[in-house]
Amino acid sequence: MQPENFYYDNKIVRNFGIATVIWGIIGMTVGLIVAIQLYSPGMNMGNQYTTFGRIRPLHTNAVIFAFVGNAIFMGVYYSLQRLLKARMFSDALSQIHFWGWQLIIVSAVITLPLGLTTSHEYAELEWPIDIAITLIWVVFGINMFGTIFKRRERHLYVAIWFYIATFVTIAVLHIVNSFELPVSAFKSYMVYAGVQDALVQWWYGHNAVAFFLTTPYLGMMYYFLPKMANRPIYSYKLSILHFWALIFIYIWAGPHHLLYTTLPGWAQSLGVAFSIMLLAPSWGGMINGLLTLRGAWDKVRDDVILKFMVVGLTAYGMATFEGPMLSLKQVNAIGHFTDWIIAHVHVGALGWNGFLTFAILYWLIPRIYKTQLYSKKMASFHFWIGTLGILFYAVPMYWAGFTQGLMLKEFTPEGILKYPAFLETTMRILPMHVMRSVGGGLYLLGVIVMAYNLCRTALQGKLVANEPAQAMPLPALSTTGHEETWHRVLERRPIQMMIAALLVILVGTFIELMPTLTISSNIPTIAAVKPYTPLELQGRDLYIREGCSNCHSQTVRPFRSETERYGEYSKAGEFVYDHPFLWGSKRTGPDLAREGGKYGNAWHYNHLMDPRLMSPGSIMPNYDWLLTQNLDTATTAAKIKAMRTLGVPYPEGYEKIANNDLSKQEKEIADNLYNDHIKVKNNKEIVALIAYLQRLGTDIKASKTAAK
Amino acid sequence: MKYRRLLILLVLMIPLHPAMAADDSLIPGDLMNEIGYGAIIAMLALFIVAMLVLLRALRVLTKITLRAQGYTEEQIIAEMKPAKKVKKPKTEVWNKLLSLRPMSEEKELIIAHDYDGIQELNNPIPGWFSYLFYITIIFAIGYILIYHVFGVGQLQYDEYKTEMAQADIAKKEYLSKAANRVDETTVKLVTDQAVLASGQAVFKQSCVPCHGDHAQGVVGPNLTDDYWLHGGKINDVFKTIKYGVQAKGMPNWEKQLSPKQISDVANYIKSLHGSNPANPKEPQGEKDADDVAAKGKTIAKI
Repeated sequence: MQPENFYYDNKIVRNFGIATVIWGIIGMTVGLIVAIQLYSPGMNMGNQYTTFGRIRPLHTNAVIFAFVGNAIFMGVYYSLQRLLKARMFSDALSQIHFWGWQLIIVSAVITLPLGLTTSHEYAELEWPIDIAITLIWVVFGINMFGTIFKRRERHLYVAIWFYIATFVTIAVLHIVNSFELPVSAFKSYMVYAGVQDALVQWWYGHNAVAFFLTTPYLGMMYYFLPKMANRPIYSYKLSILHFWALIFIYIWAGPHHLLYTTLPGWAQSLGVAFSIMLLAPSWGGMINGLLTLRGAWDKVRDDVILKFMVVGLTAYGMATFEGPMLSLKQVNAIGHFTDWIIAHVHVGALGWNGFLTFAILYWLIPRIYKTQLYSKKMASFHFWIGTLGILFYAVPMYWAGFTQGLMLKEFTPEGILKYPAFLETTMRILPMHVMRSVGGGLYLLGVIVMAYNLCRTALQGKLVANEPAQAMPLPALSTTGHEETWHRVLERRPIQMMIAALLVILVGTFIELMPTLTISSNIPTIAAVKPYTPLELQGRDLYIREGCSNCHSQTVRPFRSETERYGEYSKAGEFVYDHPFLWGSKRTGPDLAREGGKYGNAWHYNHLMDPRLMSPGSIMPNYDWLLTQNLDTATTAAKIKAMRTLGVPYPEGYEKIANNDLSKQEKEIADNLYNDHIKVKNNKEIVALIAYLQRLGTDIKASKTAAK
Repeated sequence: MKYRRLLILLVLMIPLHPAMAADDSLIPGDLMNEIGYGAIIAMLALFIVAMLVLLRALRVLTKITLRAQGYTEEQIIAEMKPAKKVKKPKTEVWNKLLSLRPMSEEKELIIAHDYDGIQELNNPIPGWFSYLFYITIIFAIGYILIYHVFGVGQLQYDEYKTEMAQADIAKKEYLSKAANRVDETTVKLVTDQAVLASGQAVFKQSCVPCHGDHAQGVVGPNLTDDYWLHGGKINDVFKTIKYGVQAKGMPNWEKQLSPKQISDVANYIKSLHGSNPANPKEPQGEKDADDVAAKGKTIAKI
């Protein structure tokens, strides 16, 4: 047999690399802006397109799907070709994948500031973009499996198991979480409502972390770390155990995002139990990585790339230890909805994803440009300022989280809340927020230095677009064969491996999602809960557009500190018409689940115009454009119709007269405001939003007996 | 022996300390605590000093005894220096703890295969890792059993009931002791400066956004004129603040202010009557006869 000659495609790797750096800088800059907005609301630059509620999703989407996403594709396209001894299956598909993905990101950058959002966290993009994501993801899958099929290596290395699991699980997650009913070109309603929608969202949200931020990175770690350190992987057996255990257990852990909500108790407990079991499988990856460095620790002292890897792996270990701890309900009761969670995710994002990405970039760019890194000193500077940035970010956020979490729960001996004004707790932690933005700024500075360093590296070298390689073709599998373990057999059967991974992740998915989605007794109905009026529905869509749920939750947990502060705890039956649910995940401001009737219309009007008029010191931005913009009532009929399709009991034909009811309610509110000397035209957006806010949580007040 | 007794005594004294602080002590509690901490630290420092002295004494004693037995100076020095234990290299302990095989045996562990030059070792899964995994699995099973099979653990709604019941008991107990337990029927109109100052502080913090910094009325009504929407008696004002008036957008403050605070701010508001602030909101509600009479009185007095 003759060895075959072929070429690795380095150009596509380079392209994804450039995209990683550019989007990384953009995403982190937006992050820095939103961080500053949290203590200086004026940083919204006085217009709706750059206000916190709209660009916080832009930050998360940009860093997750643009920065990390492109880094994944860079790492996968580089390592996959080499691990399989084959060029990518199709250059055309690679191109489509690259440009398609960038187009999706650009569309996110345009639509999110415009307020076009589904409000599902980390899945905010509207339905046409969801479809585009699905198509591009399939392109990626075909390209990957095509390469696997034409491989010159019999068995699949552990990195590729992780890539396969990533591909198949993200596909399932994305599709299930994108069941939306389009209302117009860029507006849709989630098919699920209330508790069900929340469960689907957090099953998705948690596993987006698992299968977008964790498994592909573990795969990349398994390829790049042994390459960088020139050491063998510590334990093949550990790889097998932690891979299967990780993907099986991870999928169950989603409900820990919904502890103390109206999610059925059994689902919450399953979430907690599996989160605890997730500790060891997560650490398996860290241990296998760190022990791979055994005998190479002397190199870590001199090699900045390995330093990045070690800190990255350690950050991964810390975040995956903290995760299970935070899922314990006693800890969760304090940490949930506070900055603690922000600190937790950023240890993972800045430490694990960021540092691994930087290490890979520093290692890979000089190699595909056949040159040396332009400046080791700059890379070293990047490492130290990045590490410092993470510390400056995380420590104040932990501090802020503890402080606020505990303040909100404190009572005086007289039995009333020590800090009844939520704002007081917010103002207490503002210095910590300032510190956090300094940390973020340092980290971003490091990335900019890296960009310059890599740029100079590329300029001094020359891209080897097609890198020659040589390998023997695959011989026919000998049937006589020697003893092989079952896993070894599976490693040469990619399709079976994909199906196995799919089955493993579907177990938890079905057991947790199905009963909640199908058994009606899990969500007791409440007779007093009625569908929103047309005006309230429009107001709700404005609430979604402005991204209010980024800072305000809508679920009162059954704690004394919350029922005293906000009112009766939330019931599952209250949310049955909420397509989508709007519980939120962070309380930068107070909960709004029982906001209705708490203040007068005039209070809301003034507060939305300038929050500091009613709450001196508030960090909420002004929403003055709501005072001038007209409500688009042309969409009312389509919205009512869509809601009825989803099972909301609007009478047949109601959509035709809905706008009459809408005008009537507008007039009521405008007249009421007029009594308080506020002159506002009936058809302004603020009227609709006030209508919605005044409705929140009031159904149950109307009929308390039905709630029991 | 003597020192051990002292130590035991010290340890025993720590929990005794608060009990010794009599309730009717003239020294405030905080100061008492600080004195207590200082005392404990001083005692601990003394203890360390005592131990050092003891150690020194023992050394001297050994030297004297050895000299008496006819040892030379060099021999004594040699005797005093403890024999160096043959320490295992640190890595070995580390390796055992992590159940790692020595690096020298690595060659035997290499699996005869490589992927783009990457080799894998056939190391066993570290024992401590497996135990960690087993423990978490046992915890998880135990968790489900406790909360859903045996019903020992409380789920969230039962937890809530317990929390509220406990809070209720604690609150009742506290309020039964507290003298300032007022409600809308027992509240009294007073003009005591301390009460008004406390009421003003509450007003500044909670009422200004809606009623204006001089109670002249903004979104909420003017509180300084003769007109009241919900009654102008101190009892009525107290009631309005406590329960709110939902239809008019007045929040209820029952859960945010203590009864004393509500009483103080109600008195403060009453004290503002007739202060004629700038830019007053137009009168709302009914004219209060008492107010007019009261105003008349004040004017007459002046």
